[in-house]
Order: sequence, then C-alpha cells, then structure tokens
Amino acid sequence: MSLAKKYLKLEILTVSAVIALSAVTAIAQRAPSGNYESDKKVKLSGIVTRIDWVNPSAFFTVNVKDGTGMISNWAIEIGNPLDLQRDGWKPTALHIGDTVNVEGIPARGPRRQAMATSVVLAKTGAKVFVASNKPRAKVASQPVPRWPDGHPRLGPAPGKKGYWGTPSSTVLVETTNATIPMNRDGLLANIADSDKVAPFQPWAKALYEYRQRTLFKDDPYNRCMPPGGARHFQNPYGFQFIEQPEIGRILLLLGGGDRNWRIIYTDGRPVGHKDELVLTYYGTSVGKWEGDTLVVDTVGFNEKFWFSNGGLPHTEALHLTERFTRSDFGTLRYQVTVDDTQTYTRPWTGGWTIQWVPDEEIQEYFCEENAESTFVR
Amino acid sequence: MGIGFAQQGHPLTGTWNGDFGPSPTQRSQLTIVMTWDGKETKGTINPGPDSAAAAIFLDVINWTVRIEADMKDQSGKPAHVVAEGKLDDIGNYHRTISGTWKQGATTGSFKLTRD
Repeated sequence: MSLAKKYLKLEILTVSAVIALSAVTAIAQRAPSGNYESDKKVKLSGIVTRIDWVNPSAFFTVNVKDGTGMISNWAIEIGNPLDLQRDGWKPTALHIGDTVNVEGIPARGPRRQAMATSVVLAKTGAKVFVASNKPRAKVASQPVPRWPDGHPRLGPAPGKKGYWGTPSSTVLVETTNATIPMNRDGLLANIADSDKVAPFQPWAKALYEYRQRTLFKDDPYNRCMPPGGARHFQNPYGFQFIEQPEIGRILLLLGGGDRNWRIIYTDGRPVGHKDELVLTYYGTSVGKWEGDTLVVDTVGFNEKFWFSNGGLPHTEALHLTERFTRSDFGTLRYQVTVDDTQTYTRPWTGGWTIQWVPDEEIQEYFCEENAESTFVR
Repeated sequence: MGIGFAQQGHPLTGTWNGDFGPSPTQRSQLTIVMTWDGKETKGTINPGPDSAAAAIFLDVINWTVRIEADMKDQSGKPAHVVAEGKLDDIGNYHRTISGTWKQGATTGSFKLTRD
C-alpha cells in the first residue's frame, strides 16, 4: 500500500448541540478544560510518527493528509500514563508506522492537537484506546480498622495495602450550594453562578471570574506547581495516611504531586501563627481526634497556588480546618472549612467523600513542566 | 524570575517597580510596595528615608487602580499625587499598571511592573 493511500481525509465536526456537562467531565481528569474545545470533535486518520509515554500526559503524533493533499503532523494527547494503565492501555499497543483512526476533541486555537477519545488500528480495526472514566468498584463492607486506643485507622490495617482515591467531587463549593452546574475542573456552566460558589470579597469574585473566563490559563497546577490546600484531595491520583502515633504525627503521602507530602502533628503542639512560619504550599498542620474524626488545622500557606480546582483565590491569611471521618471501611468523608478574611466575607465549608482503593499503593507521579510544550504546534 | 514564583493572591499585593514623568525622557524611578489587609490596600512609595504613604483604590469591575499620596516635588515642595492606571495581565507574575501620573501641577505618565 502506498504511503498516500494510508492517509485519509481529515474531518472536523462541530457539534451544534450543547454537550451535556457529564460528557465534558468524562475527559476532565485527563486535561484542563481550557486546553480543548469540548463542543467540537475531530476525526483524524494517519500514520504514527512518535510515541511519548510521559507525565503528566502521554501522547503520540500522526501525519495526516487533508483533502487538498497537504500533510500535517498532529499531536494526540491520550492522558496520564497511570490512568491509561488503569484503563488497559499499554504503550506497546501502538507502534511507529501504524495507521490509526483517531477520534477526539481538538485543542483551542491553531494548534494541531487533539485529546483522543478513541484510537483504532486501521489495519485490523482493533481498538487500542477508548477514553473512559470508569468508577471504581465499591469496596465490600467490613468493619473500620482501629488502633488499640480505639481511633479509626486512616491507613490500611497491618499487613494490608491501600490508599484513598477517586473523590466523589473534584470541586469545592459551599455545602449549601453543592449543586451548582460546573465540570470536574470547576468551570462553571454559568458564570453568573459565581456568587453561589463561596462568599467572595469583591476583588476575589472578580479574580475568580477572570480565571473562569480565561479558562484557567494561569493555573499554577498546569505548570506543575503543587496542589496545595484542599486541592490534593481532588485529584485522581490519591493519597495515603501513614500514622505514627508513637511520635505524634501523621504523614500524608500525596499521589498527585511530585512525591509530595504533608506532616500533621498530633502531639499537642499549637498550630502557630503564619507570621512565624515559612509559608509553603501545604502549610503547617496540627491534628487532634474528636471522636472518630481527625480534625486538622492548617495555616502558613503561601500565595503561589490555587487551593482548589476552579480558581478559588486565597491569601496568606488562609486557615483551613479539615475533618477526616472514616465513616465506613471504604469511605472517607472530607470536610473543609475555609477561613480567609482577606478573601472571603465569612468562613465557609464544603466537602466530598473519597473512596478506599484496597490492595494498591499510590503510584509515582512526576509532572514535567515542559512536557506540554513538546507537542504544542 | 520564572512563573513558578507567581503570586496568586490579591492582585495588587507585592512590590512594584517602574517610573513616572512628564515626558519619555524625563522619568523618575518609582517603587511602590502594596499590601492588602482584607479591607484596604495600603502603599509605601519609594521605601526608605523619603518614603510616602499612599492610599490605593482598586476598581475590580474595570481593573483600574487609583493611587493617592502626598510627596515632594524636585524642589522639595509638597505635591499631591494622583495616579490612575489600568491593571493588565492579571494572571501574570509580572503584571503591570500603567496610566496617568499627576503630581502637583505636573501631568505625565507612569508604568509599574510587579517585581
């Protein structure tokens, strides 16, 4: 077969109907909403010229011939390697020189780039990739593991493995307004709903709306800065508690940053004052048990990150009170009260649940700041 | 300085450097340190022995900034300053404010870049 015959026509379809919000969320964990035009689809056929299995997002490139005979090179983003492995994709499923049919969502602007929703080998018709967001199976009911003093174990029982992942929500809004339509990145369906998200001060509301309107283009997380504040409980890569009661601390190992961690001191020390602390992405935390709930106070945040998906602003005055309750073996209830008098008119509270992932460890995840630029056209 | 050090809080908070003057060739160096305390933005113009306190007003609808201060002119005489400018590229660490600078009877322009 000649090379020319391997190239098929490029077709871009604009979907006139508004895509349901749930359809948008199906890809949200794979890429920020701002990078792709979720109301458009692209169909491409071409020859694979490069495969890069990299964090934060793997991609391959294809040479595509359009209707006029022009050949152009497209970058096809296929998502985070950890997600891909979970969905059954293997890097060996595709080879340079393969002819593939790709369906996906085109990038905004002039870039020849798309987020794949389906990749099929043209020769055999075999599907090598179909985007999915399959929910994890519920963990079988069993008693909450406990320490000898009666406190629930937030980590696995001795001899077992497991971590917390798959949050029920990846956005933070005030609990009383939990049904505001937005996608998993926190992009509002209607910007007029911004007042319902949180009790913003005027400048914070204006900045929040600016970030929404500019589709999170300035989000530090997209440049591999740590997901500080409540945000690390929103990402799909999970976290793990390492409880060390003998030395009065709990380590939080975070799967969504570059091997990031938090220390929660449970030895009775005061949380301190931000003016006496080195300000960091995760702040300084102290915790105590109130019944079966671990209550964690954190101050000392810097202003170099967004503390939640969606672009919620904060200042160095941010004080988070987090409540972790293992309500059953497979469920962790997370509730966070945001107190930042320089940004919000009053303290406010939101939360979600997080599912136990048994018999697995959080996987290594490294964000590469320059990875995206390698496939920007 | 890279984007990694970007400040994401109140958009005026920080140290701003630039200049002002009546013409492109007559410029004076200008530094303003701005702080937000939750109720108002305060500024210190040219920190040091000759510093002046400034009142800063941010219009978040139009992202415009008004700066008022009592300074001294080049002859040492008191001169009230009123500067009005536009805050641009809000999400960038090196965001800017530029506009008109009126000091006493002299009118000119100013431009500040967040340090």
